[in-house]
Order: sequence, then C-alpha cells, then structure tokens
Amino acid sequence: MTDGAAIAGLGMTELGKVYGRSPRRLAADAVRLAAADAGLALSDLDGLLVSHGLGGSPGIELAGALGLRDLRLLSQMNAFGATAGAMVAHAATAVLSGQATAVACVFADAPLRPRQPSGAAYDRGAREYHGYGGMTAALGFRSVNAFYALAARRHMERYGTTSEQFGAVAVATRRWAAMNPLAQLRDPITLDDHQNSRWVAEPLHLLDCCLVSNGAIAVVVTGADRARDLARPPVHLWGWGQGHPGHRQERGSEFGLTTGATISGPIAMKMAGITPGDVDVCQLYDCYTYTVLVSLEDYGFCAKGEGGAFAASGALGPGGALSTNTGGGQLSGYYMWGMTPLSEAVIQARGEAGERQVPARDVVLVSGNGGILDHHSTLILSPHPRT
Amino acid sequence: MDIGTLRRDGRTDPFFDGAADDRLVIRRCADCDRWHAPDATGCPECGGDRLEWAAADGRAELVTWAVLHGRPGPDGTAPEPALLALVELAEGPWLQARLDGVAPAGLRAGLPLRAAFGHPEEGELHLLFRPAG
Repeated sequence: MTDGAAIAGLGMTELGKVYGRSPRRLAADAVRLAAADAGLALSDLDGLLVSHGLGGSPGIELAGALGLRDLRLLSQMNAFGATAGAMVAHAATAVLSGQATAVACVFADAPLRPRQPSGAAYDRGAREYHGYGGMTAALGFRSVNAFYALAARRHMERYGTTSEQFGAVAVATRRWAAMNPLAQLRDPITLDDHQNSRWVAEPLHLLDCCLVSNGAIAVVVTGADRARDLARPPVHLWGWGQGHPGHRQERGSEFGLTTGATISGPIAMKMAGITPGDVDVCQLYDCYTYTVLVSLEDYGFCAKGEGGAFAASGALGPGGALSTNTGGGQLSGYYMWGMTPLSEAVIQARGEAGERQVPARDVVLVSGNGGILDHHSTLILSPHPRT
Repeated sequence: MDIGTLRRDGRTDPFFDGAADDRLVIRRCADCDRWHAPDATGCPECGGDRLEWAAADGRAELVTWAVLHGRPGPDGTAPEPALLALVELAEGPWLQARLDGVAPAGLRAGLPLRAAFGHPEEGELHLLFRPAG
C-alpha cells in the first residue's frame, strides 16, 4: 500500500504530421519513452490502460506488442476526450488498492494522411443515407464542428458571449504556443487574424478550432513513495473526478450552457482539499475556444456566463491571472485528446517548461471533455505530496 | 452544401410517410404521453419502451443554429453553406433540421418556426423549419 499516487513518467512521440507509423506502433513508442523517462524497465510495468482513438485504438494487443507479461491490470477505455483523466484515475485507484504498482496509460492516434486536408480526418460524409438518423446526418449533423457551433451559439445567445471573446482565447493560447518547441502552430496571431480566418461553422472561425495530429503520449502512474525513488520529480495526484451530464435533447436542456465539469470539478477539488482559488495553472480541453470559456465557468473560475469577459480581460495568457493551456493547448499545440492538457500539466508541475514555465505551480488542474460536452474528467496535480 | 440521397431504413418509415403527407410524425410515449424525436428508442422520462408514432403540430421555436461551411476546393470555391438548427417543438422535444426562408442575420433564440419538408429530385423528403406566420 502507498500513501498516494503520482505520475512518475511521461513519454511523447513526435506529434503532428507524423506518417508511416500505425497507432499501435506510436503507442508502443510512447510507452517505452514514458517508462524510460521514469527510470523503469518495460518489465517493471504491471498495468497498461489503452485509450480508444478516432482511428480505432492500439487495443489491448499493445501489451503483446510491447512484450509485457504477467500484467495485473489491462483494459481499453473510452470516454472520448475525458479518457486520459479517467485512465489516470483508474491507474491511481489500482495503485492505491494494491492491484498494481506501475501502470502505463497511453493514447495514440493517426487520423492524418499525407496530402489530405486535416478536416477530412473528422468528416464522415457519404453519398447515401438511411432513415431518420441518416436524414440528420445528410443535413449536416454529422460534423463535430457543427455540434460545437450549435453549443457555442447557444452560449452567445444566452449570455452575450462574442466571437471576439472566443478570439481572446485563440490569441492567448497562441502566445503560449510560441514558447513551446513541441507546438505545431507557433507564429503569433492577432484578434484580427482570428476574425478574418475563414468560417468553419459559424459562429466558429478556423482559429476557433483545434488541430488534428498524429502521434502518441503515455504516462506511468506509481505509488507516491515509489515515484520519489525514480528518475524524475513525481507529479502527485491530489484528486480526480468524472462528470457525464447526459444532456437531453428537449425543453429545459442545458446543452451548450454547462458541461460535466459542474460534476467532475467539485468531486476532484473536494478530494484534493482545494477550491478554485487555489489553482495556479489550468490545462483545459480546448477542442474549440468556446469549450475553454464554458469550462472556466463550470469550474468556478468566473461566474456562469462570464467566461467570455474573463478571457477578454487577458487572464489566460502569459502574465495573466490564471495561466491556461500553457503549451498552446489543442488549438495551437497538438491534438492528443486528453493527453494534450495532461502532458503539459506534468511538464509545468515538474518545472520543466523552459521559457513558458509559470512561476507558481503548486496546484495544476487538468480537464478532459468528450463527446459534445457529454463527458468530463478532472485531475488535480501537484509537485508536492498531498498533506 | 449537398444533401446526399436519403432512403428509408425500416425503423423510422412513419416519419417519411408523414413527411410525404406534409405532417411531422414523431414518437410519443404510450405510458407517460411525453413526446420524443423519431429516432428515440425508449422514454428517458418514465423508462417506458412503448413509443407510438404521432403527428406533432409543427410549431417550434429556435434554440440555436450554426452555418456550416464546406471546405474550399483546390480552386478556392466552397459549396453553399448549410443553415443548421436545433429547434424545440411545442410538444417539448428538440429536433435537428435545416432552416429555410430566413437569413442568418435574422435569427435569434426563441424565433417562432413551423415545420416544412424539402423535396429533393431523388429519395425521401427531409425536415426543414421556416419562420412562422
């Protein structure tokens, strides 16, 4: 038994337009890197959790591909963009209950193909559609962009949120990305650039939408006592939580107005013994600029409906009141589902973020969001053991 | 944006029968009378699994909307954008449809709408909503 759980290793493959490696191969590479980062041999791993991915999943066959034997924990998990947080929580629970001692959690994906527009990776268009569900797909309700645009517009109508406020998120995030050598988009942008970027699905401009990336990221979770003896500074897991609101499509629905963070946030913060005011750094799932605003509200960093004004105040960027998505997030950094916010949280908590390192990093919040605001996970991390 | 050809699936045919008759036919729970979208598989309100087909009256109001733009082709031209909406029927359920007969600038949450149907040259009809009155 251990007094807590910690992230002991982080492994990241090349990210972005990385071709020629299958998701399973990328996942294997990330697990090897994460184990080596922790100072562990692959044979020290006794648990492996594999995330679902868009282009399928590396599958639990990954264990065999890595030559892992006699595992005590092995599963594939899927809560879409909330999976990374859910995997780490599951790994921590296994470590704390003595089921396993060193659990690798990995996400890999390779939706990009050479010479294909990145948007095509997420478009499931067909020539012929069937039934009522086929009708809505045919009309355009098959595009993730469209659903997030519907959600964002509802927030705008209800609270007066503006496209310029979405733009403030994009600009702040790019400022962070400019300081991250791993970020795919590092050239500075202005609010005018945001406003002039082409429409994807109004009210969302191109610069409101995340990247699409190939690659893989893994972390290794161990007991806190063991992590202290390993190669890298432990990143302690203070709290975790999930929230799946199940927004109904009918009168009274909060679709677009709130997320599962209203559930997962308080659970994770209570477990960690903190309040929103204690959080130094936020790593939020930013598949769209809008999701940052609505998540900030639901975690209690500002009042409901004031996420736009909070972003426009400059709070999120370098030097702001609440350093958010300090690696460039998914908008400008790299899109590895929930591993994007988690990896940057580990880097910041270790104090290894170089030029973009934030000075105060005692409490780091990691937020995953999946589906169309249907699934949420929250992690609270710290370089310090939970006292 | 181009709408592909729409065919029946054997499970939601009464919706298309209704559409051909210019009526909006959706599902209603036989146990609690709550209305649901045509692709509902059970009643999330009462847990019942007896969903009947019934004609809604067609009145709705706009919940939210999006203008979906197609990817520009190699020559820089893009297909005509599609005006998508979530609407709330007078009976309560939300439906996904396209809007017709209104420009994006004229839209606001709560705008009164009425159901209508698009008539493609081939295949089944599809659901539209137009400003009421």
